[in-house]
Amino acid sequence: MLGFHFDASVCNGCKACNMACKDKHDLPVGINWRRVVEYTGGSWSMSGNVATPSVFSYYTSIACNHCENPVCVQVCPTTAMTQREDGTVYVDDDKCVGCRYCEWACPYSAPQFNADTGHMTKCDLCADYRDAGQDPACVSACPARALDWGPIEELRAKYGSDNAFEPLPDPSITLPNLTVTPHRDAQPSGLGTGHIANPKEI
Amino acid sequence: MNLGELPMIIFTVFAQMSVGAFITLGVIQTVGSLRHKSATIDRIADPALYAIGPTLVLGLIASMFHMNDVFNVLNVFRGWESSWLSREIIFGMLFAGFGFLFAVMQWFKWGTPLLRRIVAGITALVGIGLVYVMSMIYYSLPTVPAWATWYTPVSFALTTILLGSLAVGMAFVTTTMFRRHLLERDGKFFGAKVAPEKADHVQVNELMASSLRWIAVAVIASGGALLVLIPMYLTELAGAGDVGVLSMVPYTGTTMFLRLALIAAGAGLLAIFIYAFAKARTNPRPLAIVVTLAFVLVLVGEMLGRAQFYESMIRIGM
Ligand code: SF4
Ligand code: SF4
Ligand code: SF4
Repeated sequence: MLGFHFDASVCNGCKACNMACKDKHDLPVGINWRRVVEYTGGSWSMSGNVATPSVFSYYTSIACNHCENPVCVQVCPTTAMTQREDGTVYVDDDKCVGCRYCEWACPYSAPQFNADTGHMTKCDLCADYRDAGQDPACVSACPARALDWGPIEELRAKYGSDNAFEPLPDPSITLPNLTVTPHRDAQPSGLGTGHIANPKEI
Repeated sequence: MNLGELPMIIFTVFAQMSVGAFITLGVIQTVGSLRHKSATIDRIADPALYAIGPTLVLGLIASMFHMNDVFNVLNVFRGWESSWLSREIIFGMLFAGFGFLFAVMQWFKWGTPLLRRIVAGITALVGIGLVYVMSMIYYSLPTVPAWATWYTPVSFALTTILLGSLAVGMAFVTTTMFRRHLLERDGKFFGAKVAPEKADHVQVNELMASSLRWIAVAVIASGGALLVLIPMYLTELAGAGDVGVLSMVPYTGTTMFLRLALIAAGAGLLAIFIYAFAKARTNPRPLAIVVTLAFVLVLVGEMLGRAQFYESMIRIGM
């Protein structure tokens, strides 16, 4: 089972991964297989006349997590959404009818619809690059080395297995093959303590 | 209203109406057979039966517009082992197929009445299955709190009863008007004998009146249930966190008011009609107008409701 690791403690939100993926796969405007989500929130406390702010803002780079429980594959009526032997999930263009059911099911917005072809599209973990022995485009592009990929057991052994941080959904839904090194201000999933500051970019 | 969901609104509402109408006719056939000859029942039930076909076909055509690549459409059966959407399409086809078979048998009076009743029974069961499978598409999505609740199957079932019985009622009054029109002529329509024989004229009218009375009861009961259950559902959504509260937005304001008003008006009209008009010997014209009006009001209300349902799709996560 292949997966991703993301290190939120070093990501500075530069979106190089987003651009590298767009470039590699020639993605049209509006389709972003890898996105960088800004999560922000906070408040202040008063002591006497002094207001002390406690605010947070951090980034999460997210693509498809090639989940262990891929709800997108389960709901697909055509079996176009396919899981490979190595656990990666891709869209078979010869089968997809563009019903967009997978889009409703995935809580990470990984499947994205291309209105021109009438098909769903999504991250395939750069299958061709991997076959050629290269790293996925997004992983190589990150100047902060915040992304890593590989067999999920190895990633978990190396980085730990945490992945329940806002704005990511409760991982029990799809069992994502994703591990996250949290930002120091990371908020636990489900608390809704902040909000996504760049909804148009994801 | 989001026009992108229009195919799904038309498909789900019309398919449910077809199933409901088929079941309503089945109930009328079964209960009616205790008091009337089967030829009498057929005379009022058959025209309604033939009206279901086009309704369903319209719904199925609409559903095709939801597929963005029609060239791959034959693949939609492949996922039946895990996908409720595949199962919906399979059940939709089966219901259409059995319904068509039954309609043809009825038209040409093929087979024994018992055989026809068995085919009708299978069709009705497949229809119930279709409504169930349809609701599971939404109910089984753990990522959409507004859909993954009891309200989805319950509201689909209520739409089925409401619109199905009203559609049958409307078909009844329409054919009555039509028959009166034909009575003075030779009584034939496309070769089929549709005008009542003088002998069972009274029975046909009696059966029609009692059917309409029960249809009114079904509409008032299911419409009333909806008026109680919608607020219950919304209260639950309100308690389901941020996403739940966001999903409630389509259920507020003018659309919500309009929808409740339409259902209440449709059911209310029928209630009045029960007391005023549904006697075997009254002039059918006001009756026809009231039933048709009630049908249109409730149909628009239910389409609005389905539009709200699709708009309440707010996914958890990001
Ligand atoms: S992240 Fe979404 S699209 Fe990717 S495997 Fe998981 S459920 Fe499917
Ligand atoms: S849009 Fe394509 S991949 Fe997604 S569920 Fe429909 S057929 Fe499957
Ligand atoms: S692995 Fe490849 S396809 Fe997936 S997000 Fe990275 S660059 Fe895009």
